[in-house]
Amino acid sequence: MKTYHDITGDGGSDVLGQVTARARAIARALAGVGRLVAVGSGKGGVGKSTVTMALARALAEAGGRVTILDADLNGPSQARLAGLEGRPWIPGDRGLVPPRRDDGIAVLSMGSLLPAATPLEFDTVSSGEQQTWRATRELAMFAEILAGTDWGELDVLLLDLPPGTERTVQFAEMLSALGRVGFVMVTLPSAVSRGVVARTLSALAPLAGPLAENGLELLGTVENMAGYYCKDCGQVKPLFPEAAPGEEIPLAAECLARIPFDPELAALCDRGWPAGPLPEALRDLEPLARRLLASTVTEKEEVPR
Amino acid sequence: MKFLCVSCDEPMKLQTVDNSGGGSLSVVYACPRCDHQIAMLTNPLETEMVQSLGVKIGPGEGAGAQAPVAAAGSEAVNETGAPTSGSGCPFSGMVAQMQAEAASDGPQWTAEALSRLDNIPELVRPMAKQGIEHYARTEGLAEIDEEVLEHARGRFGM
Repeated sequence: MKTYHDITGDGGSDVLGQVTARARAIARALAGVGRLVAVGSGKGGVGKSTVTMALARALAEAGGRVTILDADLNGPSQARLAGLEGRPWIPGDRGLVPPRRDDGIAVLSMGSLLPAATPLEFDTVSSGEQQTWRATRELAMFAEILAGTDWGELDVLLLDLPPGTERTVQFAEMLSALGRVGFVMVTLPSAVSRGVVARTLSALAPLAGPLAENGLELLGTVENMAGYYCKDCGQVKPLFPEAAPGEEIPLAAECLARIPFDPELAALCDRGWPAGPLPEALRDLEPLARRLLASTVTEKEEVPR
Repeated sequence: MKFLCVSCDEPMKLQTVDNSGGGSLSVVYACPRCDHQIAMLTNPLETEMVQSLGVKIGPGEGAGAQAPVAAAGSEAVNETGAPTSGSGCPFSGMVAQMQAEAASDGPQWTAEALSRLDNIPELVRPMAKQGIEHYARTEGLAEIDEEVLEHARGRFGM
């Protein structure tokens, strides 16, 4: 009697063919993107979305063409940060066209479609069992958005990931197949945050390596709320207590930038950041932005599409 | 998953898919040699597990029978933009509410403009459609054609 491996195809649906076709569609859609940079953490509430927008601003100011994809489908915040709430998504000739800010940064976020306080509800016929498939469906929807959007020619596509160590690893596994993906992990100076981020970094380590070999590179960390930015004196003052000697939680990644808490920026997060010069509190992101743009050119030549 | 006709030692071929059974799929396979048929019946959880992968279950093009059953969250969209079944579009409840609120004499889509919706992810089509209709109503437009889409694109800096 024939075994599974003796039979070619699945008799009709060609599920494997569909999965392959979707992977090709994603590759085609991303063909003009120099590199993808995922901004994650593992820990919630550390300012991933703020850092993502801040990095986009730094990239744009450095001359980069950048788009943000808000991968937190059920907790979107980029539309509000960008001031693009309520902007319709327009179907173009080659897919969805993301709304764009005055400074050229395009943002694709469910927050443009979802009214505040309205969750993304997946209808179900298996009530009470949603935990078994929700994560899979979220990733499938994310893949469909990747494949169905006209990203155009970009230097960097920034991905604002949802919180949680497990989800970060799930996204990392999926994204690593796309190649040219860098991960930036956001943390607070607190021991609680650093502990979670240290664990997430350990979970990502087996997936990461030199970009040309693994397709996923752990770029480093950004420390958010690294002190309090006093506009009056231009000084950064401590916000979190320093860890006692010997109690620091080491992170297995380079610290790429430190961003102080700035009340004015916090207020802009609710109102939408206007276009304009990069605020002083975000200047530490400039070297990272320049590094990403410089590496993009090389990787475009080296990484096969 | 594959099915084998044990008597003939022949892979069975997918014939029809019916998802009208309250979350259950009825998938019929037949042996191409002896015509023996079997039906695989899934429970709602099994159905959603498969559909959450974002694939479609059903005969491929040229296999005859019927169109594949769309994955949950990517079911067909009828001419009003609303999902034709309640099996998975994350916006179905919201779209239904918006439709109820919208005037019945809303803007009409030309075939060319409507075909552009095929270029975007199925999951967000209903909401994208509603957003453009809202824009058209705001602009006092009775018809949505490709020119209106381009105008909206320019208006929002895309």
